[in-house]
Amino acid sequence: MINHITSKYYRLFKILRSYLISIGEVFDLFFETIQCTFSRPFYFSRLMEQINHIGYGSTSITVVMGVTTGLVMTLNFGYGLAKFGGTLYVPALVSLSLAREMAPLFTSLLVAGRVGSGIAAEIGAMNVTQQVDAIRALGTSPVRTLVVPRFWSLVISLPLLSSLSFGVGILGGMIVCKTEFDIIPGFYLYKVFSTVKFHDYMSGLVKSAVFAGIITILACYKGLKTRDGTKGVGLTTTWVVVTTSILILVTDFFISKIFLIIW
Amino acid sequence: MNEVILELKNIHKKFGKNKIHQGINLTLHRGESLGLLGGSGTGKSVLLRSIIGLERIDEGEIFFKNNRIDQLSENKLTPFRIKISYSFQSGALFDSISVFENIAYPLFEHTKFSYSQIKDQVAEMLKLIDLQGKEELMPSDLSGGMQKRVGMARAMILNPEIILYDEPTAGLDPANTLNVVELMLKLKKKGLASIFVTHDIPSAIMLCDRIVVLHEGKIIFNDTPIKFQKSEDPIVRKFVLSSRE
Ligand SMILES: Nc1ncnc2c1ncn2[C@@H]1O[C@H](COP(=O)(O)OP(=O)(O)O)[C@@H](O)[C@H]1O
Ligand SMILES: [Mg+2]
Repeated sequence: MINHITSKYYRLFKILRSYLISIGEVFDLFFETIQCTFSRPFYFSRLMEQINHIGYGSTSITVVMGVTTGLVMTLNFGYGLAKFGGTLYVPALVSLSLAREMAPLFTSLLVAGRVGSGIAAEIGAMNVTQQVDAIRALGTSPVRTLVVPRFWSLVISLPLLSSLSFGVGILGGMIVCKTEFDIIPGFYLYKVFSTVKFHDYMSGLVKSAVFAGIITILACYKGLKTRDGTKGVGLTTTWVVVTTSILILVTDFFISKIFLIIW
Repeated sequence: MNEVILELKNIHKKFGKNKIHQGINLTLHRGESLGLLGGSGTGKSVLLRSIIGLERIDEGEIFFKNNRIDQLSENKLTPFRIKISYSFQSGALFDSISVFENIAYPLFEHTKFSYSQIKDQVAEMLKLIDLQGKEELMPSDLSGGMQKRVGMARAMILNPEIILYDEPTAGLDPANTLNVVELMLKLKKKGLASIFVTHDIPSAIMLCDRIVVLHEGKIIFNDTPIKFQKSEDPIVRKFVLSSRE
């Protein structure tokens, strides 16, 4: 009986321990990435290639997502506030929530799906076909050649993508305000720029950069850990999309809270 | 006998409860070709991977010319990974870049050669592996045998002192096998030491100065090909006989 219970606790302990070890390894990878960033050799062309692939490649879905978010939010806020005669507050409300929350969050979730899965599948496939081992065997570092370029390209690109999504979202809001609520663009834009302050923009940008780090580090980590051939690659991709999405949502709350406290 | 350039002392390695190596001792001399035989799953690949630090051994020591290399960090291993190169069983070519970029990769990473010098060197190497003018092809355009040869070219472009071949002829048709073995002979004549993991006993006997048989985590035979063919040991005999079928 006692034996049974202890073995159960032992199993729990082992599971817990393996989780903690994984978390430790993720942080190791993060620190190694930072370390490799500031020491030779640098792979500038790989960085540009990744920015093109990861960042520029995500612009079209970002625009579609941004515009739609702007349209839908404005529409809903507008009808909601109209009941209380508050239509004039719509521009402020829309722009503030877009800048602080919606643009960075939705863009990051979208990118987590597109880019996170892509990175995980690519590195995972390289790992199961021993290409990652080959990088090491040839005296080079997988972190330097694979992780660093992807990490920085997304940390640079995602805030830009979020800004783009904010921009087109504001545009979408403007269209709805004009057509549905008779708010002229001049007034709308005046309201937008007088409401959204520097730290609101910063909050969105910082969030995006942090989310970018979460997406790339987790995707690379899991990719480098992939085993068991094609099946392993599939599992890795799913894991990365689910885990990064959840982590983004949770982190979002904490960063919002921190920004509200310090500003 | 030439000086010892690689020495394995009492290597132990296990994965979980699966004991792979249980006290392996092995030396490799300058210019020597050593054939490493053993059934599937006896840990031949793991042994080669341990030598260049792709796997960490649990116990024992590995020396490259009096430098202990088994405990070095990834960074400190770099110079030794240039001196000891590993030719992967699958070729392990980078599939997103061309044949040229694959072979040139170590040169771009570890030398200061100009682009045109690198181009010349790669062209020369392609001639050696009998794939002239195939620079622009992608790895997926190549047959299995060609991929292995390109992998070997990539492994030797920096003029290593030791090359570890992991089943270079496995899965190849006779013509391709001959190509690969000829290439290995050329390299041997250049004075490269090698460990040749294989199931292809005739090639091993032809190519190697010494044959080593790995069985249940230990080395049970370590002598010349001639003694190998005359061995009375029942396990060794199985290998000898399997090649005569
Ligand atoms: N990374 C690993 N994790 C767990 N087991 C492994 C790993 N690599 C190899 N093994 C096991 O070690 C044994 C030896 O493998 P290997 O060296 O590839 O055999 P072979 O002699 O055919 O080359 C096999 O049983 C294999 O399952
Ligand atoms: Mg093997």
